[in-house]
Amino acid sequence: MLRNLLLGITLFAAGAASGQPQLYTVVDGYKVDPETMKGFRTWRAAACDRCHGANQEGLVGPSLLVSLKTLSKEEFVKTVTNGRLEKGMQSFGNSPAVMANINQLYAYLKGRSDGAITRAKVEELPPS
Amino acid sequence: MRISERSDWWSWRHVALGMLAIPMLAFANADVEKNIANSKNWAMQAGDMYNQRYSKLNQINAGNVGKMQVAWTFSTGVLRGHEGSPLVIDGKMYLHSPFPNKVWALDLDTQKILWKYEPKQDPAVIPQMCCDTVNRGVAYAEGKVILQQADSTLVALDAGTGKVVWSVKNGDPKVGAVNTNAPHVFKDKVITGISGGEWGVRGFIAAYNLSDGKLAWKGYSVGPDAEMLIDPNTTTTWADGAVKPVGADSSLKTWRGDQWKIGGGTTWGWYSYDKALNLMYYGTGNPSTWNPSQRPGDNKWSMSIWARDVDSGKVKWVYQMTPFDEWDFDGINEMILADIDVKGKPTKALVHFDRNGFAYTLDRTNGALLVAEKYDPNVNWATHVDMKTGRPQVVSKYSTAQNGPDVNTKGVCPAALGSKDQQPAAFDPETKLFYVPTNHVCMDYEPFKVEYTAGQPYVGATLSMYPAPNSHGGLGNYITWNAGTGKIVQSHPEKFSVWSGALNTAGGLSCYGTLEGYLKCVDKKDINKELFKFKTPSGIIGNVFTYEHKGKQYLGVFSGIGGWAGIGMAAGLEKDTDGLGAVGGYRELNQYTELGGSLTIFALPN
Repeated sequence: MLRNLLLGITLFAAGAASGQPQLYTVVDGYKVDPETMKGFRTWRAAACDRCHGANQEGLVGPSLLVSLKTLSKEEFVKTVTNGRLEKGMQSFGNSPAVMANINQLYAYLKGRSDGAITRAKVEELPPS
Repeated sequence: MRISERSDWWSWRHVALGMLAIPMLAFANADVEKNIANSKNWAMQAGDMYNQRYSKLNQINAGNVGKMQVAWTFSTGVLRGHEGSPLVIDGKMYLHSPFPNKVWALDLDTQKILWKYEPKQDPAVIPQMCCDTVNRGVAYAEGKVILQQADSTLVALDAGTGKVVWSVKNGDPKVGAVNTNAPHVFKDKVITGISGGEWGVRGFIAAYNLSDGKLAWKGYSVGPDAEMLIDPNTTTTWADGAVKPVGADSSLKTWRGDQWKIGGGTTWGWYSYDKALNLMYYGTGNPSTWNPSQRPGDNKWSMSIWARDVDSGKVKWVYQMTPFDEWDFDGINEMILADIDVKGKPTKALVHFDRNGFAYTLDRTNGALLVAEKYDPNVNWATHVDMKTGRPQVVSKYSTAQNGPDVNTKGVCPAALGSKDQQPAAFDPETKLFYVPTNHVCMDYEPFKVEYTAGQPYVGATLSMYPAPNSHGGLGNYITWNAGTGKIVQSHPEKFSVWSGALNTAGGLSCYGTLEGYLKCVDKKDINKELFKFKTPSGIIGNVFTYEHKGKQYLGVFSGIGGWAGIGMAAGLEKDTDGLGAVGGYRELNQYTELGGSLTIFALPN
């Protein structure tokens, strides 16, 4: 019932119902909260699209829409920090832009993978 | 006064170097020239020092090429983009591969591997390579095979044994300075460049002694005059309709603050050399970042054509094609030297098909701009090049800088990968035309602000590429071009970009490979007449080459899809998703080809 009310308007990450802080907030599929917006900016700044595709759909690197369904938050952070050198992914441990925004990057990508954020390019929600 | 002191210093240094160089002139380069003069060989990546990609062999000709068959094949064991081609000298073939950059010497009597070299390179180099782990091939001179490794190590191998003779570090992969280019031997020097324009690497071109690998000279693409080896009074450019000295600080004046230190201008294309003038020619790549608002100014000398003295590296002339780049139109494509009539006058010409969609003809003796015309009719970011100033007239609608950061500039033609990327064209001295493999692709381009961190990507734009609209629907054309008049003579549409290097022969053929994997040979007098077609194991981004062994002519090409156009192959895109990045229009490729890595050699039946 709560779900029906929310559908088509605002989506929260799974876990909101159980009382945990929401990972991301998205309205109309592309307007996101400021922290998730930081995650999008980090995604762009690190040029992740050159391997994972402009829409996270995969290129020479795997689809993140798929990967984020099974990768835990800890595994995600480890992969981004250390890279997967044998597979051609660089480590981002030395990138202040990425490491300072790793939680936000995870939120953005998880929102994309969940299908809640419906397109790669997002905009920031106006302050309410 | 300071400037004249520097000029005097330059003159004396040049005289001193000249005096040292004179005894060497008679012997230097003799080996390479001898190998090139023998048509049975394919002794340099471009066949010769002029980048003409032309062979005098005519046993395979327009009359019999339809009967050509596969003679033998060789797998490299590597499944990434295969650019460049093998070399053939005196009955031996020297092949190379993408990362890990294996090199083999084959005995052409038996195709037996005489030796193999596989360098140990840090795999951390792989993600530093923006556009696939390609390598454009080896060079050969005086019993040495020269390899430019991805990790920036330049190495000379004994051609008889494959053992390392000398090895030198050319760049620093930790900051993203890696290599994909082929080294070139001109005179007694090995010339090589650097990649990393998407990592804020400051580009340069370097010359190492062929004999011992010691650095002879190094000229940067941007920054202080002395570091570029530019003399403000004697180095010239095209300005106000004439050849004029560049003046002091020609680069520094066109950058804000210290941005030039991470300014790009990399040098990963194909170089050429005129022995009589003692000048080598090459082009520089994009300024860094892809977000133009972070680097106001002309960003000289990115996106430029250069002529340098091979002994000293001193710049004779330089001309910038795309000042203040807003589209990633790297200027690194091959500089083809040809003696042709330009606007009716016999000219020692330099012809260059730039990423920006304009084909330039310059006088290679002094850099005078003679012709600058679009070689794809869809080019729209500029209306024309003003022949007096040499500057393109930018159309506001397609200016990503004028539209601003975080704004998607739509419908720019050509796309960033250009009307032609590194895939080299051929010049035919019989038809006097250029045979050009082209892309027919447009893009949406959205720049945004980025911060620089050494060793991290420093890009600052997202792109979406698609076939040129209102056209034949394909992503490429194979064209013939008259560089004297600046006109397309013939244009043959292709479904995908023609990403291979062309080859022309005295047998009347013009041959190229397609991204689906076809090797095609057409009639060089009418390129719409297809005379031969064969599907090789994978998409072709290599360069077609030819040689003769024991009285029989062979024609060959690497297969192995990859490079910028093919980089999406591994993921096998199937969904029709909006706004795809570098692959967009190429996603259909997965209906035609898989990854591969092999050499196919063709010949007429016995």
